[in-house]
Amino acid sequence: MSEVMIEFDGVWKKFRRGERHDSLRDLVPSIAKRLFRRGTPRDLEKEEFWALKDVSFEVKRGEALGIIGPNGAGKSTTLKLLNRILRPTKGSCWLRGRVGALIEVAAGFHPDLTGRENVFLQGAIMGMKRAEIATKLDEIIEFSGVAEFVDTQVKRYSSGMNARLGFAIAAHLDPDVLIIDEVLSVGDMTFQQKCVNRMLDFKGSGVAIVFVSHNLNAISKLCDRAVLLNHEVIAAGDTQDVLNSYVRLFSSSDVRSTDTVSVERVSLQCESGTSTKTVSPGDRLCLSVTYRAHEPLDDFHLGFLVHRSSDGLLVYDESFSQKRLGLGPLKAADRVTVDYPFSANLTRGQYDIELHVYHIPSQTFPIRIRPAAIFQVSENHIYDGIAFLEVRPRVASASMTRDSETRGPVIAS
Amino acid sequence: MTQIAADLREMVSEQVQYRELLYQMTRRDLLLRYKQTVMGFGWAVFMPLVNTIVFSVIFMRVAPLDVGMPYPLFAFCGLLAWNFSASSFRFSLNSLSSNTNLVTKVYFPREIFPVSAVLVSLVDFAVGGLVLFGMMAYYRITPTWALLALPLVVLVHAMFTTGVCLILAMANLFYRDVKYLFEVLITVWMFATAVLYPVSSLSTRYRVVLELNPLTPLIDAYRSVLLRGVLPDPAPFLLASALSLVLLALAWLLFHRTEFQFAENV
Repeated sequence: MSEVMIEFDGVWKKFRRGERHDSLRDLVPSIAKRLFRRGTPRDLEKEEFWALKDVSFEVKRGEALGIIGPNGAGKSTTLKLLNRILRPTKGSCWLRGRVGALIEVAAGFHPDLTGRENVFLQGAIMGMKRAEIATKLDEIIEFSGVAEFVDTQVKRYSSGMNARLGFAIAAHLDPDVLIIDEVLSVGDMTFQQKCVNRMLDFKGSGVAIVFVSHNLNAISKLCDRAVLLNHEVIAAGDTQDVLNSYVRLFSSSDVRSTDTVSVERVSLQCESGTSTKTVSPGDRLCLSVTYRAHEPLDDFHLGFLVHRSSDGLLVYDESFSQKRLGLGPLKAADRVTVDYPFSANLTRGQYDIELHVYHIPSQTFPIRIRPAAIFQVSENHIYDGIAFLEVRPRVASASMTRDSETRGPVIAS
Repeated sequence: MTQIAADLREMVSEQVQYRELLYQMTRRDLLLRYKQTVMGFGWAVFMPLVNTIVFSVIFMRVAPLDVGMPYPLFAFCGLLAWNFSASSFRFSLNSLSSNTNLVTKVYFPREIFPVSAVLVSLVDFAVGGLVLFGMMAYYRITPTWALLALPLVVLVHAMFTTGVCLILAMANLFYRDVKYLFEVLITVWMFATAVLYPVSSLSTRYRVVLELNPLTPLIDAYRSVLLRGVLPDPAPFLLASALSLVLLALAWLLFHRTEFQFAENV
């Protein structure tokens, strides 16, 4: 189980910025340049940039690695390198065994061919044998849910049907290594669930998976480890940790002091008074914030927001007007401490609190702090979800036949 | 040398691994043609037939030319063989640059595109061949044992054509001017190949140009094995074979080594 299936070793990849000329007119100068060029490929010329800088990771059998990062961070480039469409400028990358790529699953479809004909074509593009496709054909059509239209030309398909058929083919590959790019976003919810389950099956059967997505929740469900990429590896390791640092790095803002107002102190405490950051669902917490005005301030709102750290999901967002807080206009050098007591009616995970001060006349946010505080909710009963609804089931009545031959459930009295 | 050997091994093993895809791509193009056009394979015969009629009128009525056999047969055989090359070139020229989506998104050996263009044209060639056999029957030409050399002639012809196709597809991907240059070149090339007239009808000075062009002995080889009932003239045919083999090997190697730059340059 510890066999390395994918290895990305110190990979650098260089691209050109700007328009590339590709007429014969440019051939002569480019040849001349190549002949007289000095230096190693590591040197950057004008208009060139590194899309990837010294990126390394490996994936073992049965392991799933998630790759996250902002747009243009080199995620797709990484996939193309893995998929052998591009070659690294420097460094090496290799895969073992049969590679399945879930990138542009319908790329090979020809609009004038029927769904059935396209299954064979796309299957061949993905490296399947004709006999293999033929045996799996019914399964593929069934999975895609376009059975009725399988003998219709693909140009009459909706884009969703197109993608579903493409994914269905890919899902019936028998790979050793699977590369997935944001394809789980196709289809409706039922179909997406089917896709996620399929991926989990693949993983369970020992396929090594690399998964690129902006859907952080999907990443955290599927992947054991993750890499945060922004041209270079910024964080790598346990999925939750990497997701947290992603959310922290790319959605944090720290404007705690301006000419008008500043936040002097923030503290998060349990109602019991301890400053522990790990609580159980339903526990009471209190965030206390001290604001200080630098010039007279009137007509403002104080914002209190909670996000789930793993994927940035906004859990709560409320603003409190001055009037609601019972505050008058602030004069210069006034200091106000506001307590925000709240219940952590949340399921397990890490959450971060964001604070705003919104000034209505100027329509600006003089203060915006995220994360102002972080807390963990720890429990191990709830399967999934976000809100803690305090469900306490009890059997109201039960009518059971107690038979010596059937072993029914026994209720402890 | 070991690098080249490794590359060659990889090239061949990839083709074996992806043979299904080559079949499917070829099938796709044939199927599409059959679906999208009323005449389907009829088009494969129609063009050379019309050309044969036109040139037969010219070289039988206007400026009679002695070719040692019925002229329509001579011309149709030449045009059919020429068309195999020309249409392969034309298809493969755009095969990479018009499949951007596949080239930049999915991995498989890129040779598949030009090679399937050659295979599609080969099917057309075979369909046209049936008409040629019909014409031979009409002119009461009975095939001799020399017909057994036909597969060899087709093989060499296909090797040469594939070599050129690989270069054209690659060149057009990097430099789009190639497409326009090609249109000029193909017209000149047809007349610099003995498609419509025999080499013997030219003075020696011009003959050299024609004989340096491997398509001339190849097209003549078709006429030998099919119409004259003799084996091809050995010296020019063997030279053309050797040239075709070397061209194919070099073109394929170059293609294979440049392949990974395609996605960046499309």
